[in-house]
Amino acid sequence: MTPCLEVRDLRKHYPLGGGFLAARRGIVRAVDGVSFAVEAGRTLVLAGESGCGKSTLARAILRLEEPTSGAVLFEGRDLATLRGRGLFALRRRMQMIFQDPFGALNPRMTAGEIVREPLRVHRAGRRAAQEARVDFLFQRVGLSPALRDRYPHEFSGGQRQRIGIARALALEPRLIVADEPVSALDVSVRAQILNLLVGLQRDFGLTYLFITHDLTVAEYVGDTVAIMYLGRIVEIGPRAAVFGRPAHPYTRALLEAVPVADPARRRPREPIRGEAPSPINPPSGCPFHPRCPMAIDACSAVSPPLAQLAGEGAEAHSAACLRAGEGA
Amino acid sequence: MRLPGLDPITRRRWRRFRALKRGYVSLVILLVAIGLSLAAEFIANHRAIMVKYRGTYYFPTFRFYPKKTFGQEAAAAAAPAAAALAEFDRSGDAETDYRALRAAWRGTAHRVFMPLIPYGPCESDFDYASWPTPPDSRHWLGTDAQGRDVLARLLYGFRISIFFALGLAVAAQAFGVAVGSLQGYLGGRFDLLSQRLIEVWTTLPFLYIVIILAALFAPSFWMLLGIMTAFSWMRITFYMRTEMYREKTRAYCLAARAIGASHGRIVFAHLLPNCLTPVVTFTPFLVVGAITALASLDYLGYGLPAPTPSWGEMIDQALRPENRRCLWLLLAPFAALAATLTLVTFVGESIREAFDPVRYARYE
Ligand SMILES: Nc1ncnc2c1ncn2[C@@H]1O[C@H](COP(=O)(O)OP(=O)(O)OP(=O)(O)O)[C@@H](O)[C@H]1O
Ligand SMILES: [Mg+2]
Repeated sequence: MTPCLEVRDLRKHYPLGGGFLAARRGIVRAVDGVSFAVEAGRTLVLAGESGCGKSTLARAILRLEEPTSGAVLFEGRDLATLRGRGLFALRRRMQMIFQDPFGALNPRMTAGEIVREPLRVHRAGRRAAQEARVDFLFQRVGLSPALRDRYPHEFSGGQRQRIGIARALALEPRLIVADEPVSALDVSVRAQILNLLVGLQRDFGLTYLFITHDLTVAEYVGDTVAIMYLGRIVEIGPRAAVFGRPAHPYTRALLEAVPVADPARRRPREPIRGEAPSPINPPSGCPFHPRCPMAIDACSAVSPPLAQLAGEGAEAHSAACLRAGEGA
Repeated sequence: MRLPGLDPITRRRWRRFRALKRGYVSLVILLVAIGLSLAAEFIANHRAIMVKYRGTYYFPTFRFYPKKTFGQEAAAAAAPAAAALAEFDRSGDAETDYRALRAAWRGTAHRVFMPLIPYGPCESDFDYASWPTPPDSRHWLGTDAQGRDVLARLLYGFRISIFFALGLAVAAQAFGVAVGSLQGYLGGRFDLLSQRLIEVWTTLPFLYIVIILAALFAPSFWMLLGIMTAFSWMRITFYMRTEMYREKTRAYCLAARAIGASHGRIVFAHLLPNCLTPVVTFTPFLVVGAITALASLDYLGYGLPAPTPSWGEMIDQALRPENRRCLWLLLAPFAALAATLTLVTFVGESIREAFDPVRYARYE
């Protein structure tokens, strides 16, 4: 079966400076060779620290930015070969939910106009049908259709995120890329929004690419979990494997940093040393080696590729570490 | 005033603007003045508003009626030879003299309704032996060196000034917004090159070029408007460019692109409505500049051709040595110009404050 979304060796580099008549001062390797696949109806969680390139990857997948190289296959079709109308037609099938629930809504449009906009842009049905669909979507995401004529600033953060979700659902997409959809929300409403997203996935058979920096969220929603560091995936595998038998020292460090309520389950803490290096001049070899507690000499020389440790196909558990599987 | 159908940001700004009484009152006064100036032909005119003659009604404001229509040729022919009437004016084909008609028909069944000021802006009053004449009951602000009613010229001059300025503001802002938005939205090489061209264009000495062109062509209203627009659109591009650069990176713009919205839709439905603050806040000051510039050009004699009623020309006349004693000639246009500029400035300040209360609030 073809996966809903497949990403092959995707790269997105930003030249620094280097405009017209200006000297180029370097390259930001925001996304540097990322590959993964998501089966239809499943959730792949992409987790990583701030600045590791998660949002850039999301934008490159949805062709909101041109990738530097690599391929994005949506239901087997390479998006890079699509232009104009073909891409426009596919946009119905892939939608995005944004992190900042306020910034993602045009302050000068009512909630109803915002949710109806995708239907208008794609000329989906007559006006009355569109209005009916907006009412349905409002109800489905837990908003009263009576709120349609309100403006974004009249809603709470959680309600705004529901509007953003309703807009993403309007065209009956199959893939939803959710870029930190609950990070900006109060802890009290996070669970509600997460449950809403899980329920929508079940009802509409959605495929999620779910971006987060919060491993508890990753554990809650993810079928597959990918850990990203400095523009690359360093570990990817089924949720149980990644959380139960983390193979990459970075994953282990992240897991140790997660606060655990049960004292019996607490592990000795060894916080990650130092700060994440800049993607402008990434370290040689394995990008994590300057901060890695297990680093050996070889780590500064070779950049290890993702190597399969266990499982097959969609169940594969891989890590990019010379000493994967050792220690822990 | 309730404005339905406006988004809440605009509505909040309008409420704040209204709360700043000074600007709101100034705006109302200006709107009334503009309304009145639009009806100038019914306020100051040598033609009557309405004539009732032998049971028929005539509305001569915008139509020519010869003397013979109202049987005035006999009276004109009988006028004493001393009255400085040209041969043609005595014939029945010349235009009716409505003021004379009103005097002649007093006590008859015929009626002439004259405007409040029964003198046109370009008409000399030959009943006076010499001009200029000081204010009296016939000419409330006196007459100028050609015997024309100063108040009438002031009124028509206001109309020309304000509509010239508004026309300039609309044209310059429209062009500037288009260019600036394109620069900000497209960015890259187009932005860089156009930005350099605009910088070069901005350094051209505007007044000299207008004077040279005016000397060559004796510009009409529209030509002068075109020339001045060509030198007034640059400023807003700087603001629109930065606004667009900022807004296009906001997530709602990304969301619109993710939907598949066209560039046109993104620009017109999403970006422009969120970028128009500088347009609204700068337009009043552009209007102030345009009124001043037109008055200066007219004063220098490079503006609108005579006998167009214009404030700059009136000030020029008042400042000539032979008219030095005639203070009314100076006071009238000067006060009108100062009042108009002050009112527009008040409106502009209040708009700015209503749009950005943090930066521009005055603590009085
Ligand atoms: N347009 C751009 N030009 C240059 N550099 C960029 C651009 N966009 C992103 N970057 C850089 O790419 C890197 C990855 O950014 P990105 O926003 O994808 O990170 P992120 O993982 O989403 O972080 P966060 O958790 O803070 O959202 C950062 O170092 C950022 O500075
Ligand atoms: Mg991000």
